[in-house]
Amino acid sequence: MTVTLVVDGFTREVEGEVRDGSVLVSAPAWHTATGWQLKPEGLCRGDVCVPRSVLGDALVDGMVDVVGAGLALRRPVAFEPAAAIAVLADAPEDLAAAIAEGTAPAFTLPDLDGKPVSLADFAGKKKLLFAWSSW
Amino acid sequence: MFEELAADGLALIAISLDEDLDAARFCAREETTVPLTFTVLIDRDHQWAERYGVVNVPTTIWVDERDRVVRPPAIAPGDDKFIDFVGFSAEPHHAALREWVRHGTLPMADDEVQARRAAPDPRLQLARAERRLAMHLIRNGDSELGHAHLGEALALAPDDWTIQRGSLPVRGKDPFGQDFFDFYERWQAAGRPGYEP
Repeated sequence: MTVTLVVDGFTREVEGEVRDGSVLVSAPAWHTATGWQLKPEGLCRGDVCVPRSVLGDALVDGMVDVVGAGLALRRPVAFEPAAAIAVLADAPEDLAAAIAEGTAPAFTLPDLDGKPVSLADFAGKKKLLFAWSSW
Repeated sequence: MFEELAADGLALIAISLDEDLDAARFCAREETTVPLTFTVLIDRDHQWAERYGVVNVPTTIWVDERDRVVRPPAIAPGDDKFIDFVGFSAEPHHAALREWVRHGTLPMADDEVQARRAAPDPRLQLARAERRLAMHLIRNGDSELGHAHLGEALALAPDDWTIQRGSLPVRGKDPFGQDFFDFYERWQAAGRPGYEP
């Protein structure tokens, strides 16, 4: 079956299942969505690996338990087994690193007609970002 | 003012935090809540808001030619119409903005930019993830489960306007009515957290 995984602004239907109230996704799907790849030594991104010894409940039959992996990677996770969906927040340390660097995080958002617009489209200009709403 | 600054080379990017896309379109196009010189984008999932640390509107962030944040998120009304409620004038922000666009005068030193940025708060991030989940469920017709998760988000982030006030329409409540005033009183009593010029 498939589960819905929402990460970094992308919503993906990925291979996985709900088992005993947990949302599990296949290791390749987890890798694609989060950049963390399951290897013999553990979950790895670039040079960094979280060893299997601390992954504990994050691995179930070669699949990734989203809540367990969120705990191991210190990423807040909201999930709903009845709808087979999980949502990962950004990693707090990634946000902290962006703040420490002082750079504006890249983004791509739709305009009012649905056309995607990126921060990079305004490269070389001064930019005023203005958050607003109808309420 | 914004027409002038756009002519001076400032890119104006307005990002709506509305769940209701028609409400955002109506405000932008019919009521021109946002001046027409702005490129209007929609952050329905509040992913951008999470990444930039935006917890209220109207908030501005200044980003320079090299994509460095030179003024972190701050409350920035367009005028002084609601000054009694806001508690400070819009004018110093506008004056500083003109200075920066025309003369490159930075509004604050790098260390103050850093000091003003709130550290990521995993509890608040979980609240945003719960809200994101809730909205996905509600959009897909799973109202009961969605509202249960929205309740989680509301409990986790009692002072975040984007979650508290921003969810009033989807909860069938008026964002300009009694439920908003009740939230406002509670937030005011807590010392107006997160509200700085």
